[in-house]
Amino acid sequence: MKGRLRSLASGCRRSVVLASMGLFAASAFGQGGSTVNRPYDELPDWSGVWSMTSNTVFDQATVDPPGGSSNTIGTREYPPYNEAWEAIYAANRAADARGEFPDPISTCGTPVGYPRLLNQPGAYEFVVRPEQVWILTEDGPNIMRIYTDGRDLPPPDELWPTYSGESVGHWEGDTLVFQTVSMKGHTGAIVDRTGLVLSEEAVIETRMRQTGPDLIEARFAIDDPTAFTDTWHVVKEFERMEPGTRIFEFACAENNRNPIDASGRTLTLDAEGNILDQL
Amino acid sequence: MKSQNSILATAAIAVIGLAGLSGVATAHHAATMFDREQTVELVGTIREFQWTNPHIWIQIQVPNADGEVEEWSVEGGVPNRLFRSGWRPNSFEPGDEVTIRAFPMHDGGKAGLFIGAKLSDGSTLGRYE
Repeated sequence: MKGRLRSLASGCRRSVVLASMGLFAASAFGQGGSTVNRPYDELPDWSGVWSMTSNTVFDQATVDPPGGSSNTIGTREYPPYNEAWEAIYAANRAADARGEFPDPISTCGTPVGYPRLLNQPGAYEFVVRPEQVWILTEDGPNIMRIYTDGRDLPPPDELWPTYSGESVGHWEGDTLVFQTVSMKGHTGAIVDRTGLVLSEEAVIETRMRQTGPDLIEARFAIDDPTAFTDTWHVVKEFERMEPGTRIFEFACAENNRNPIDASGRTLTLDAEGNILDQL
Repeated sequence: MKSQNSILATAAIAVIGLAGLSGVATAHHAATMFDREQTVELVGTIREFQWTNPHIWIQIQVPNADGEVEEWSVEGGVPNRLFRSGWRPNSFEPGDEVTIRAFPMHDGGKAGLFIGAKLSDGSTLGRYE
């Protein structure tokens, strides 16, 4: 074991050298290590503060128009929806165009849920521990706990839909692989503001690995037997921010001047709390 | 609508087509109440700057052609991310004379989504070319 640890430590040092040369060796970390309960010195260093490289359109590969914003009416993506769920997506986009597709997090109290948790505009921390990995987002409340201690997913009678679901994972070389189930479906969460939603039956396999000295890639394989005709593959990337970057408190309810009315319309209040919208 | 016409004819000063402009504040809520095809310029005096989550708000008093002062509420981004792009809790202070460019509300309400500002010392914040 000692010999292997020395070899891994050597591998890590080698990666630093390669990184400094702009030749990051993605496979330098953890090759051949244990798949669960991996000790600290066999885990990758994902310390620091990270930010998503793209805007908040979840699937950058199919966004229409290219480069479109999730805050612009008409922007859409092309997940492999079946006919019924393509209709749901169309209805959501139509509601958005009417100003009646409120973001569920406008209530300032609920998490964005998974996979939207890896589609956030604010800062991230990826805390890698032997028995679990935590994904912490500055916006929130969003905390993802991925157990890497060898446990199985809970049995069905111990699961109920939650925003972020339940996740268990393991390491394959330098890649964190985890399965997430039991997420709230379209009645409680969205994937992005274009109107993308999943059903409660969605199962997501996420593969995260460092692809550069300051770059982490997350590859999603999303199966949704209720909504999809095929597996939906999506890639997001995160870049490490400047050393010393601060993460700040996000208290959404502190001064929320955009409440939702009974129709689902997002209102705008003046400084005294009066409604500015011409209702 | 009358209110909007009045503002556009007097205090708002300019309406500029800016289709396709993106990258403005990302909100915790749908922002479809703001018209991203139009821009208003608000020339006035800061009454209050709310450096708060989930969004900053700028209360600016703008005189209209009748000499009346109208207060506009301009919504900006999340203070956490604005801080990292150079903003500070005192980026605006009461009494500052500024020009703010914003996307107005579709329905004529006196609010806007912040795009950029020119401060009295000539410096700018956000997108203000």
